[in-house]
Amino acid sequence: MAAVEQQPLQTETFGQRLRAWLTRLVISQEGILLIITIIAMLVLSTQSDRFLTARNLTREAVLLFEVAMMALPMTYIIITGGIDLSVGSIFGMSAIILGFAWQDAGLPLELAIAIGILSGMIAGFVNGLFIVRVGVPPLIMTLATLALYRGMALGISQARSARGFPDWFYEVGRGDFLGLPWQIWILGAAILISAIVLARTSFGRGLYAIGNNELGARFAGIPVDRYKLIIYTFSGFMSGVAAWIFTSRVSTTRSDMGTGIELDVIAAVVLGGTDIFGGSGTIAGTVIGLILIQVLKSGLLLSGVKGDATTVMVGAVLILAILINNLVGRFRS
Amino acid sequence: MSRKTVTMIVLLSMLMGLFALPVASQEEERWVGSDDLPVNPLECPEGFGPEATEEPAEGAAEAEMMEYDGGQPVDPPDLAGQEITLIDIPKLIGIGYFNATTAGMQEAAEELGNVNVSTDGPTEGDIVQQIEFIERYITQGVDGILFAANDPVAISPVLRDALAQGIHVVGYDANSEPDAREWFVNQAEFNGIAKAMMDSMVQEIGPDGSFAIVTSSFTAPNQMRWISEMWAYAQKCYPDLNWLETVESQEDQNLAFQQTQALINRYGEELDGVFGMSSVAFPGAADAVQQAALCSPDDADEDVAAPSEEEAIAIVGLSTPNQMKPFVENGCVESVVLWNPVDLGYAAVYVMRAVVDGELQPGDTEVEAGRLGTLQVVNGSEILLGPPFVYTEDNIFDFDF
Repeated sequence: MAAVEQQPLQTETFGQRLRAWLTRLVISQEGILLIITIIAMLVLSTQSDRFLTARNLTREAVLLFEVAMMALPMTYIIITGGIDLSVGSIFGMSAIILGFAWQDAGLPLELAIAIGILSGMIAGFVNGLFIVRVGVPPLIMTLATLALYRGMALGISQARSARGFPDWFYEVGRGDFLGLPWQIWILGAAILISAIVLARTSFGRGLYAIGNNELGARFAGIPVDRYKLIIYTFSGFMSGVAAWIFTSRVSTTRSDMGTGIELDVIAAVVLGGTDIFGGSGTIAGTVIGLILIQVLKSGLLLSGVKGDATTVMVGAVLILAILINNLVGRFRS
Repeated sequence: MSRKTVTMIVLLSMLMGLFALPVASQEEERWVGSDDLPVNPLECPEGFGPEATEEPAEGAAEAEMMEYDGGQPVDPPDLAGQEITLIDIPKLIGIGYFNATTAGMQEAAEELGNVNVSTDGPTEGDIVQQIEFIERYITQGVDGILFAANDPVAISPVLRDALAQGIHVVGYDANSEPDAREWFVNQAEFNGIAKAMMDSMVQEIGPDGSFAIVTSSFTAPNQMRWISEMWAYAQKCYPDLNWLETVESQEDQNLAFQQTQALINRYGEELDGVFGMSSVAFPGAADAVQQAALCSPDDADEDVAAPSEEEAIAIVGLSTPNQMKPFVENGCVESVVLWNPVDLGYAAVYVMRAVVDGELQPGDTEVEAGRLGTLQVVNGSEILLGPPFVYTEDNIFDFDF
């Protein structure tokens, strides 16, 4: 008797929960952005039959790789209310140091790669150290190192570029693994790990707490300084990895590589719904933000829109997406 | 001799040795902003350099014998005589120079009647963005790609991809690695430009003057080549010239202006001349000299107070005529060295058409290019546009680009 009564009750609860969950998903920031992205993809695919092809999508994923790798730690940093403007310069400097260590210092290439990535980590660590210990605002500190690290790249390279790497070095930048470019596997793993760490660990929850109320987080016993050091170092690390794989793809190092890339990174993160003042944001949002921008760039060009007009349209869609998001946000609460 | 004097002499000689050391090593090295490729300085003008250089014919024969070293597309569709669609991806769009090459391309396309060419590219001279543009146009599907590379090595993998997919690839203005494209239209051989630049400068400041160089970037291949050839040519013909410094301007006219101001402040009267190595560095440099009222005094009609011969600074460089017209008009600049970029774009389209039609094949030594007549193949897989062009007061106003 009791079991018979419970049965319909349970189904109803499940249906309600499903509907509530779906509604929440659709009106969440990520949901709205996802819908906009899908609409954009559908519209653009009617304009060019070469857009929604496996070939184009993998090609675009490879082009997206460097910005995406830097956008993951940037999401962490912006969630804490910080910012890292120096990622493009760290990217350029790591590439130059990789090339220098191999070509001029004559180290084995494996070691040179490690040194390149390590130099990125150190650069990020220095950012973090000054922000935490000296109390320099992240905007000021990383604006300074934006110039400093780029200057070091120019100084170390002395206008010479490293080239003529052995064949195996190009594998990671241009080769495939199980039919997909290496970049897609690496990026996939990085996204998965970053998302899990942010959503499911006390470290991730700590980042939100810092962004919402740093003083409160300190009183709650969250090791704020250590967390900040970790995320800025992580940012440098990801820039270093991106620099290595980018060098492998284009087969040379240049001191001006990655100039201005920080703006693309920040744009994707903010479009993805991360609050620029900190406290909220998700990796999923950032990933959708990255995809939307890339979809627009690729799809518009394939539909015959010129590069300069594409830039304008990408800007317009960014504003539109944020407007829609704000509009729905009012109903959300 | 007192001990003090001896000590002084020892110290002095050590100090001199210290200075001599870097000077001695610099003799071997090239000037800042050069590359490390072989150089081939041309003949000196009458009265300069060593007497009659021997066997110039041998070098020329060697160059002619160089084998075709370009790449070839894999199974390109046979489009001989048919309508083709080309995409032109210059270093950047929206500057006078590449507007002029675009104009030349459109002119050639109109003449030929069976070519559609459009220009697209990054708004900054950024290799990362340029690669993205090329990738996307390969996906879009074009019959041929014309390019001017922001980096000769970094652009090569994506161009090889294009060749692998049967797309024809022809470069102009700034080359890639030879096997990443079929042909490259060379606007002027580097030694030719270097000679024209140095000769023009020496005409103004004399063979023992001091000068500085404002380049676009230490990594731009064209700029590095020119500076190397200028260095080599000056070593041979004008060994008494005093090379002061090379500074970067990053394709930014305002930065070129500031850098030149800094040079004027740093060297004062010592500075006799400035080379502006790009179409933004040159007007930036000229503007700085003009605002400092240091233009050559030999233009009596100037109403600004003319500086003394000592202080005056000559400016020679590479730029488009329109940008330099005001400076040529008021006498601040006497010679603008360049080729004709309209002709360059025009030739690039003609070369591409000849390649598609099978009229220009590996091993050929010349190609027909419309109103430009017959162009010569040099360095294996390059097509030479002709000798450089020096724009002066007398002819600059006949050009509009």
